[in-house]
Amino acid sequence: MSDYILEMRNISKSFAGVQALKDVTIRCKPGQVYGLVGENGAGKSTLMKILAGAYKADAGEIIYKGEQREGATAGEVIDSGISIIYQELALVSQMSVAENIFLGREPRYALGVLNLRELHSRSAALLTRLGIRLDTRLPVSELTVAQRQLVEIAKALSQNADLIVMDEPSAILAGSELDQLFSIIESLVEQGVTIIYISHRLDEVFRIADEVTVLKDGELVETRPIDQLDRPTLVELMVGRPLDEIFPQTDHEQGELVMVAEHISSDTILEDASLELYAGEILGIAGMVGSGRTELARALFGADPLTSGEVRLVTNKGASWSNPAKAIESGLALVPEDRKSHGLFTSLSARINVTLPILSRITRMGVLQSQAEDEIVEAAKERLSIVMASADQEAQYLSGGNQQKLVLAKWLETNPTVVILDEPTRGVDVGAKFEIYKLMRQLNDRGIAIVMISSELPEVIGMSDRILVMNAGRIVGEFAHGEASEAGIIELATMADSGANHS
Amino acid sequence: MSVAKPHESAKQVNGWRARKFVADYGVYIALLLLLLAAAVLTPKLYEVNTIAVVMRQASQLGIVAIGQTLILLVAGLDLSIGGIFVMTSIVVADVTNGRDDLVIPAILIALALGALVGLGNGVLVTKRRVPPFVATLGMLVLVKGATQAYTRGVPGGFVPEVLGIVNQSWFVLSIPLLLWLGLNAVFMFVLGRTAYGRKVYAVGSNTEAARLSGISVDTIRISVYVLGSCLAVASGVVLTGYVGYVDRFIGTGLELDSIAAAIVGGTAFVGGRGGLLGTIAGVLLIQLLSTMALLMGLDIQVQFIIKGLVILGAVTLYSLANVEE
Repeated sequence: MSDYILEMRNISKSFAGVQALKDVTIRCKPGQVYGLVGENGAGKSTLMKILAGAYKADAGEIIYKGEQREGATAGEVIDSGISIIYQELALVSQMSVAENIFLGREPRYALGVLNLRELHSRSAALLTRLGIRLDTRLPVSELTVAQRQLVEIAKALSQNADLIVMDEPSAILAGSELDQLFSIIESLVEQGVTIIYISHRLDEVFRIADEVTVLKDGELVETRPIDQLDRPTLVELMVGRPLDEIFPQTDHEQGELVMVAEHISSDTILEDASLELYAGEILGIAGMVGSGRTELARALFGADPLTSGEVRLVTNKGASWSNPAKAIESGLALVPEDRKSHGLFTSLSARINVTLPILSRITRMGVLQSQAEDEIVEAAKERLSIVMASADQEAQYLSGGNQQKLVLAKWLETNPTVVILDEPTRGVDVGAKFEIYKLMRQLNDRGIAIVMISSELPEVIGMSDRILVMNAGRIVGEFAHGEASEAGIIELATMADSGANHS
Repeated sequence: MSVAKPHESAKQVNGWRARKFVADYGVYIALLLLLLAAAVLTPKLYEVNTIAVVMRQASQLGIVAIGQTLILLVAGLDLSIGGIFVMTSIVVADVTNGRDDLVIPAILIALALGALVGLGNGVLVTKRRVPPFVATLGMLVLVKGATQAYTRGVPGGFVPEVLGIVNQSWFVLSIPLLLWLGLNAVFMFVLGRTAYGRKVYAVGSNTEAARLSGISVDTIRISVYVLGSCLAVASGVVLTGYVGYVDRFIGTGLELDSIAAAIVGGTAFVGGRGGLLGTIAGVLLIQLLSTMALLMGLDIQVQFIIKGLVILGAVTLYSLANVEE
């Protein structure tokens, strides 16, 4: 019997003649954390779907717990002790925490009657093992995203998983939530569980992984122990070219004041937020998930009505607005956090996606002018190097990075003076991230002011001219460029008393 | 999940093309097969008179189906059109009382009342957030009740003779067919080539994204319900001329047939996808099935079974084509 709990040997897989994975081998020992990194399209998900039994490999073999696995179904894979936690969580929101953890495997009495007492006591035991305090009767819809993630982990444990694959678990977590996730991973590892951790955030990989495997274009680039890697090397392995600097810098003077928000509150957690925004700057908004960052963005844009306070432009004759349509007219743009549900029209063509907010510019008497539209779409495609087969391709068939570029392209066409970006690089690979950063700098150079919300502190610190920190719906502090540190931001963002002001 | 698969662009383009092919041509292939089958099973279908009748009847369904398609595109649904048919027929008979010269005012009044019903549907769905199924079902009952209260259960008045023109054909052409084709041309242009059309698709595809893109989502949704009701009035006028008297059960079943025609034609029940080109084929398909069943002397029950199977088959096909990986 080998030392490995899992060996995937020489795995190849192609879709419709296109090679998705070529001769990839990974080996995992029990009680270790394996980072799996690579750009979008590198083959991470295909490899994990083969492991999950969702796809069948064309060639290669899977040896799990010393036995060669043949054509296992997804259910058999779970029973064998492999759990995969997907990025988009698969919980039933109307059901309770306990019901979700044991969905389909609920403890029963005779005749299939549910044993609710045991359902809840076993769920509670699992949560305790993870160090989570959560009422198992609470419906999942009442939980924060971070808590849902933890419920997913509890579910994996309830399946007696020996191997847990986490697909970008941290994409939606920040600060203390991440710490909690990592301490859970550590305790799982101590219990002998093996973790395969897929992430775009390299800092996390360095923090928790014992060994890192890099995939690129469906091929294995390298597997290396983490202590023989540094960040630039890892990025270079992933991208295939060195990235001189992750965050492009420009030197510029502070521009004129363009927008002010005075004591704004909305019918959400957001309370009494004030800010000033200057031309050509990036104002970073940091804070934990749920601290009111997205609510601030929506309030600034008129998407949530204000219950008090005012937002107005200083330029453009001091325009103010009460709904998105008027905000757009005044020169605002919002790239929302949740691309699929708030930003993109997945069932519509790339063309329609790009020109939607500027219909008046490409229509005469309400009738579309194809030529004008074609020119705009073509220019946007060039400018952002969007990869698509044709402008008539439905947005849902584009990759995550290209979808994000499409949403950005749409807003750039409105010639905004203020652009609000809510998590602009979430779920986007390193290469595309760099392109988005460059684009933001180009906007700055044109005098456009950017409000950027991000959970990635290195990104906030690296890109922002000024940083506002939010905590419990309020803005609790401000850092100038060069003054901010991750520790400083986290301290403010997690402070229990949010009344204090720091500058 | 949004983590991309390797070589997604090639694979995704193939997926997109395949789906687009089914969405764009699937219903036409089905229609073609049915026409071939008809050549063997019911050759009588290819006689000029039969074609003319089939097209006249298809037009009655087709005109409502235009409105139904618009409403489905914004992820709505209109069950109230049965009530609008009855209302239209009563208004026409009541206002004209058989006088040909009052037909136009009668139609205008019916259109105004129809628009009101549509406005009611739209306001309920948008401002009061009533699910479209419930809102328009309620409106159906309300309008039917109101018409019965108005006529005290005994519809009076006469349908003017001039409306009988809808039963005439010149070769295969007829007024209903021309009206159907004309309205299709207009609304295809509106959907495909105007800002309004773009907004309709955007609202149906992703309501919140549409709002954040500066579209007055409620206005678009309400307007679509109003248009749908007005188109139902147009169809109701044709039906009234076809029947020739005031019928309390006029056009029963057309609301469901119009939904079926749009869905069979590839318009998504969840909105944002589909269009009139598909709906035309869907209408023809459903009308042909009925006519062929009639020509073959099949019982009405058998007709329903066949119709049901075709609808289920089409919807299954589309959902297979639409699986997002």
